[in-house]
Amino acid sequence: MKIMQTNRKQSSKAPNRKTISSLFLVGCLLSQIGCMQKISIISSAPPPVPPVQSEGSGQASKQLSPRTLASMELTEQGRILLERGRSDDAIRVLERAISIDSGNGRNYFYMAEAWLHKENKEQAKEFNRIAEIYLRDDPEWESRIIRQRDRIQVLPK
Amino acid sequence: MKRKSSIRIKWKGLLKVLFLAFFLLIAILFLYSWNLSERIDQRFSSRRWSIPSKVFSDITILYPGQKLNRDSFDEKLRQLGYHLVPHKPREKGEFEISGNSLLLFLHDLKMPSLEREGFLVNIRFTGNRIESILRADTEKPIPLLELEPEEIMLFFGTERERRTLVSIDQVPQHLISAVLAAEDSRFYRHFGIDPLGILRAFYTNLRQGALRQGGSTLTQQLAKNYFLTADRTLPRKLKEMIISLIIEALYKKDEILEIYLNEIYFGQNGSVSINGVGEASLFYFGKSVNRLSRIEAATLAGLIRAPNHYSPYVDEKRCLNRRNMVLKAMHKNGWLSNDALQTDVQMPVNVSGFTDYGKKAPYFIDYLSQQLEALYSTETLSSMGLSIYTTLDTQVQAAAEKALEKGLDRMEKSIPILKRTAPSQKLQGAIIVMQPKTGYILAMVGGRNYRESQFNRVIQARRQPGSLFKPFVFCSALDRFTPASLLSNELASYQIDGVFWRPENFEPVSEKCVSLRTALKKSYNLATVDLAMKIGMDHIVQTAASFHFSTPIKAYPSLALGAFEVIPIELARAYSVFAADGFLPYPLSLREVTDEDGKILQQRHMNVESLISPAKAFIMNSMLRSVITEGTARSLTEKGIFGPVAGKTGTTNNYRDAWFLGYTPEILALVWVGFDNGDSIYSTGAKAAMPIWADLMKNIPQHISENWFNMPPGITQKTVCSESGLLAVTNGCPHPVEEIFLEENLPTLQCPLHRKEKPLHHLTKELKELLKAF
Repeated sequence: MKIMQTNRKQSSKAPNRKTISSLFLVGCLLSQIGCMQKISIISSAPPPVPPVQSEGSGQASKQLSPRTLASMELTEQGRILLERGRSDDAIRVLERAISIDSGNGRNYFYMAEAWLHKENKEQAKEFNRIAEIYLRDDPEWESRIIRQRDRIQVLPK
Repeated sequence: MKRKSSIRIKWKGLLKVLFLAFFLLIAILFLYSWNLSERIDQRFSSRRWSIPSKVFSDITILYPGQKLNRDSFDEKLRQLGYHLVPHKPREKGEFEISGNSLLLFLHDLKMPSLEREGFLVNIRFTGNRIESILRADTEKPIPLLELEPEEIMLFFGTERERRTLVSIDQVPQHLISAVLAAEDSRFYRHFGIDPLGILRAFYTNLRQGALRQGGSTLTQQLAKNYFLTADRTLPRKLKEMIISLIIEALYKKDEILEIYLNEIYFGQNGSVSINGVGEASLFYFGKSVNRLSRIEAATLAGLIRAPNHYSPYVDEKRCLNRRNMVLKAMHKNGWLSNDALQTDVQMPVNVSGFTDYGKKAPYFIDYLSQQLEALYSTETLSSMGLSIYTTLDTQVQAAAEKALEKGLDRMEKSIPILKRTAPSQKLQGAIIVMQPKTGYILAMVGGRNYRESQFNRVIQARRQPGSLFKPFVFCSALDRFTPASLLSNELASYQIDGVFWRPENFEPVSEKCVSLRTALKKSYNLATVDLAMKIGMDHIVQTAASFHFSTPIKAYPSLALGAFEVIPIELARAYSVFAADGFLPYPLSLREVTDEDGKILQQRHMNVESLISPAKAFIMNSMLRSVITEGTARSLTEKGIFGPVAGKTGTTNNYRDAWFLGYTPEILALVWVGFDNGDSIYSTGAKAAMPIWADLMKNIPQHISENWFNMPPGITQKTVCSESGLLAVTNGCPHPVEEIFLEENLPTLQCPLHRKEKPLHHLTKELKELLKAF
């Protein structure tokens, strides 16, 4: 700070010297900034890890992990069982799907659907909330989740 | 004349008496037979046998890309009754290993929501990873393969009989021929008693001077087994004949044969008797009765006379001789051609080998039994042949049992004072493995040795959790504090009920002021107590109650350091909330109960309850991951665990308890080590419990993914000054760190320690001056 003040006084007397001093200051500043850039920002959180490559994350199928692929097989079975109105069977299969890949949001969505079918408002609500965590980046699924939530809301308690 | 007439009168009287006696005898015999037929009808029309209920593990799922522990997988196949053959599998239950390929002929699978016929499958491996699963017949890839559940326990009654019922239609003709040839070749021609057979037996016994043949028909054997004792007395023999006649009168021949084939004793496996051809074919040949070959059928038929004497597991040569006698008898009766006989007698006796019917996962079974006893009587469980499906993963269970045993042995070797000879005083341990999202209990080891101690430490022990409780204090604080907020880590005294309490860190540290993250990852006691005092003990008690700790928790400051008792399973469940995005799962061990026909009687589904926000759970996971990456559990990587894991170590006063709990999004395991009487184990959670956890996890790679938790909504990342815990001054704070925050609890103030006028501001000023000058 002292140096800066001194420079300010000098500048009022001799513009050419001001120019030199300013250029000097710029140089100093740039070098200071350069030094400062060496202070790295350490992440307090643990190092990044690969995200869960579930279908909910919108990854192309070729990028899906083996776990996700296996889980999706069961998801599809669960969905078909749901379509046939076999809620308990669907829940049983979807639980297995969650066991294999807990990051596959569709499993929770269909679980909510099964509980909705069984008219269990509490469980339907809880699974709908979990589905939202995993499928929030997928606009299509997000809207389905919202519609599902609306259907859950109208269920009697 | 008079004499003659008196003789006639006497005769007449005698005849009358004789007639009366005869009619009386007939009447008695009729009534007796009536009574017997009632008993027989009642016995045969009602449930004929007590079938013990079976407890099954969960199914095993295989998929391409899955990592496996090959040793554990091979053992699993063996436990499921698969046996290695030196040729391409031809029958269900056989497998062949050829290089990196496993050709497996699957058993049939039938359970709730899952049914398929067995087929031949080719599983290819690359190292310990499944490369592909293909149908052997079509080469079609299989994305997911389910192996049947493993039988882990039978609810025996007092008889301890094991029986798999079969209908006569399932029994192959060659087995029927073999049994008849061996025991009663005139079965379809006699009426329950075979006079010709009796005469033949009498003649044979007379000729040989010894009791060699019994002459009993199958019906007589059935009558004896069902209604009589083994005494060799004349009245019993007469009774046996009467019963046989009644059975023949009441039932068709095929019905009698079916009952006989299901009833007959076929030997012993430990204390359990093998009854009926259905069970015997599984026990001796590892296959269902309809798949028995002719020579296997002859072997079984040969066993009936003296099962344990002729057992192939006892004396293979004796068994072979007896089998050949049966084959010859079949030939003699015209049921086997001469060519077939010549071929068959040359064949060896090949048995499948068997596994003991011991109780696997005994602590888990005890835990399950408590739930079952609330649903069914002991009699129902031991007689109704229910199928009980559970969440147990036998591979995880075996790995947990082994890891605990190894870990405790290792400790006793390294600290000899821990080694005690008395079973009740031995160093103990407990493990529970759960799926945090579903609440499935995959494994439960309630102690070191079930035979020595049935006390299930996972569900019955009440131990202080020590630092394992700290995360719940930190979780309670997240509404007001952030992972970057600073806490005092300096010595302080607290007055409780007039008594001063002066907590200390585990070891002296120089840091006087630490962030929440650092306090948790390094498990600082002083900083934790500081935090607890700031948020209030009542608040922590409320949090603990919401996490469903059932043991009494009092609002003392020492609560923050885990100085109250918890039940290990409740601790594992409470941590599941972090691993399950803030949802509390209900711990599940029982999944379904079905009757003999597969009808579902009971079912349990995963059940979750929202407890904390997913964002809070994510912050807790992040902080608990720091425990592994740079905190008290950082040596975990040295133990071969490299994937992303969150966890916490715990050690209580005087080293009474050593804990480690670690988890990923898919699996959570809690390990406790200590003495039942509270003696010191002279070791910490990181040194005593964590190696056991690492050992367990390394052996169950199929449950470990490289996945980490998805960042939920409500989380923001900011750069903060590590010294002040506030927003970092760009280019000002010497040690800025990135930290995650709840959106509703973001730091708003800038670091006051390193705030200064921005260099750019000066530069602008200088440039302005410069311009003015020109």
